[in-house]
Amino acid sequence: MSEALLFLNRAEAATVEALACRIMPGDEADPGAREAGVVTYIDRGLAGFFRDQQGFYRQALRELDRHCEERHGRRFSELDIGEQDDVVGELDGLAQADVGGSLLGRLFALVREHTVQGMFCDPAYGGNRDGVGWRLVGFPGAQWGYRVEQMRPGFDATAIPLSTLADLRERAERDADG
Amino acid sequence: MADPVIEHADAVVVGLGAAGAIMAERLAGAGLRTVGLEKGPDYTQEDFEIKHDEVRYYQRNAIVAALTKDPVTWRATSDDRAVVAPWSAGPLGVDEPLYGLPSIGTGGGSIHWGGAAFRFREADFRMRSTIVERFGEERLPDDTTLVDWPFGYADLEPYYDMVEWEQGVSGAAGNVGGELREGGNPFEAPRARDYPMPPLHQAAADHRFVEACRRLGFHPYPTPSGINSEPYRGRAGCVYCGFCHGFPCHVGAKSTTQVTSIPAARATGNFEVRPFARAFRVDRDESGRAIGVSYFAGDGQVREVRAEIVVLACYALENVRLLLASGINENGQVGRNFMTHSYGWFTSVLPEATNPFMGPLTAASVIDDFTSELIPDNDAGAVWGAPVLSVTGDLQPIEAFHIMPPDGPRWGPGLKEWLRDNYTRLHRMYSQTSSFPSPRHYCDLDPVVNDPFGMPVLRITHDWDEIDVATVSYLSRIKHRIADEMGVLERWQDSARPPYHMSTHDVGVHRLGEDPASSVTDVYGQVHECAGLYAIGGGQFPSYGAYNPTLTIQALAYWCAEHLLDERGA
Repeated sequence: MSEALLFLNRAEAATVEALACRIMPGDEADPGAREAGVVTYIDRGLAGFFRDQQGFYRQALRELDRHCEERHGRRFSELDIGEQDDVVGELDGLAQADVGGSLLGRLFALVREHTVQGMFCDPAYGGNRDGVGWRLVGFPGAQWGYRVEQMRPGFDATAIPLSTLADLRERAERDADG
Repeated sequence: MADPVIEHADAVVVGLGAAGAIMAERLAGAGLRTVGLEKGPDYTQEDFEIKHDEVRYYQRNAIVAALTKDPVTWRATSDDRAVVAPWSAGPLGVDEPLYGLPSIGTGGGSIHWGGAAFRFREADFRMRSTIVERFGEERLPDDTTLVDWPFGYADLEPYYDMVEWEQGVSGAAGNVGGELREGGNPFEAPRARDYPMPPLHQAAADHRFVEACRRLGFHPYPTPSGINSEPYRGRAGCVYCGFCHGFPCHVGAKSTTQVTSIPAARATGNFEVRPFARAFRVDRDESGRAIGVSYFAGDGQVREVRAEIVVLACYALENVRLLLASGINENGQVGRNFMTHSYGWFTSVLPEATNPFMGPLTAASVIDDFTSELIPDNDAGAVWGAPVLSVTGDLQPIEAFHIMPPDGPRWGPGLKEWLRDNYTRLHRMYSQTSSFPSPRHYCDLDPVVNDPFGMPVLRITHDWDEIDVATVSYLSRIKHRIADEMGVLERWQDSARPPYHMSTHDVGVHRLGEDPASSVTDVYGQVHECAGLYAIGGGQFPSYGAYNPTLTIQALAYWCAEHLLDERGA
């Protein structure tokens, strides 16, 4: 099932998702960026909080496809995984040399940042779907609090059911109803 | 422009944060009609009920004065061109709360603060003399403008006590009236009485830190914290949610002035808040006396509060901006003596999961064995030490990604596996070494960059000196010893020349002193050249202890308020 797109066009969304999947790869059994809905997080971000970055994303994604077509004759999202990894390695090199120095280096640095946000945000933001990012690292999410016994060394926190902002709201409304 | 709307009061306080709210509480409590001008919202507890959101508060700076609206520029030296704080406003736009301006809104910086509530040491008030006595004048940085405070720890002690008991601080006393107490800090300066609440519960990883420190012969004690460890004065105890530093508290357990002094000020019936009010000028009469403050109201209209008492308490940097924008700097001292902290962050991977998302930053311990004057003579060249603090909680996954080892995997399966395998086992330590004031470290108005309201922004000129690097490097050895003794699997640390030159710990820029030629305010915060005007906060510090500044800022606020009211016979 596809999510609605609020800013990116379909091709841009495919490119962003392909990039995000190289940063946080995964599959059904071991969810990564695709399974977490990272592209939805980024798209909604661009339509809202990141709106100042709309122009940059659009321009840099076009440049990435131009770059890939020149090198490989296809867009980034159409390359096979090995080719994509080569391109990502190159972009990361640019980003590490001077993050603001090139369109592609900065694009990679930004997508990397936003991919991690999309993995570990509250699911309300469109990413971290079903808490897959939180489960990956062992973070129980938006918990009202922890008990002293839970803070002792050796406590297995993976036994704590995940909680989201929606769960906390439900809890607060239940409490308000008495 | 429409005529400004003028209202009259007895006192106007600009900034309702750690210090301003205390001033407002005291002034209103003395029967003075007090208006508070607050740049941010007038918060209620309902605003914070569900705040467990790392993206909103840590990545999207929901409660801080973001650099887009409140730019601050920086350059390393006066030969450079200043740019908007590049460590925050760079290509990534990662504006984490630690390296920018403090949170705004009622409560100010005491909303986002981690709660570390240290008193300065006795020697911190005579840092210059102490260094000269121990090492000789030649060991001070050549051009330092370091001075002793014109008063000592004992003078401020009753006001520290006031903060601890009125605002609420949890901790274990180490020295009550000269008598050492088990469980507290054996190097503590004498205090009149205990803390009002016992320390917070230690988070899991702290046990390793404490045991390792003890084996090394160090003296760990629980970090004093402005967070209730149990219900106190009608507020709840901490529930250890782990969204603390950089976040508002959802149960009112953090001793934010929004839940302490602001309600107390309101209860007097003499206090009103003007939220979304951006002060831009201190107004003066022909004699130069302060008569009020002009501000942009939330609707963009220019308004003014006329009052006999004008208090600036909107952070060291913003206080300086207002003074300079108002033409108050006859002696050229405003903005000088900029001091800040270098944190020396040191991160380790522990052998077992310790769930670093539980509990606040301060549910941990600290050692003072190398703090301030306690640092031994050393070949690194450090002359003033700092505490080493253990940080066990308050770490969410995105923040964990940001503190990964510099040579760690950056993308692909390696990145994913690193976070999967290490997130729950991370432990951090930091020290916060104080920088030395120098004519090269100062703030002034940026000649080019304006804020969105057309007012010039503040420009910081600062670079880390050799002595800063030496001190961080010396303390790094101590952290390595502790980490080894803790049995950590991996460790890495920040550069001793970190990229940031500003955090929420910037102080010194409107120095207090007895000599009107070499300081900005008198001992009680009144600006030498402008009767009726008080500049309160960390900006007053003549030198900088290596502890978090908040408790001392608040003690000074009580001290200044008391003196101001005494003078008026109120």
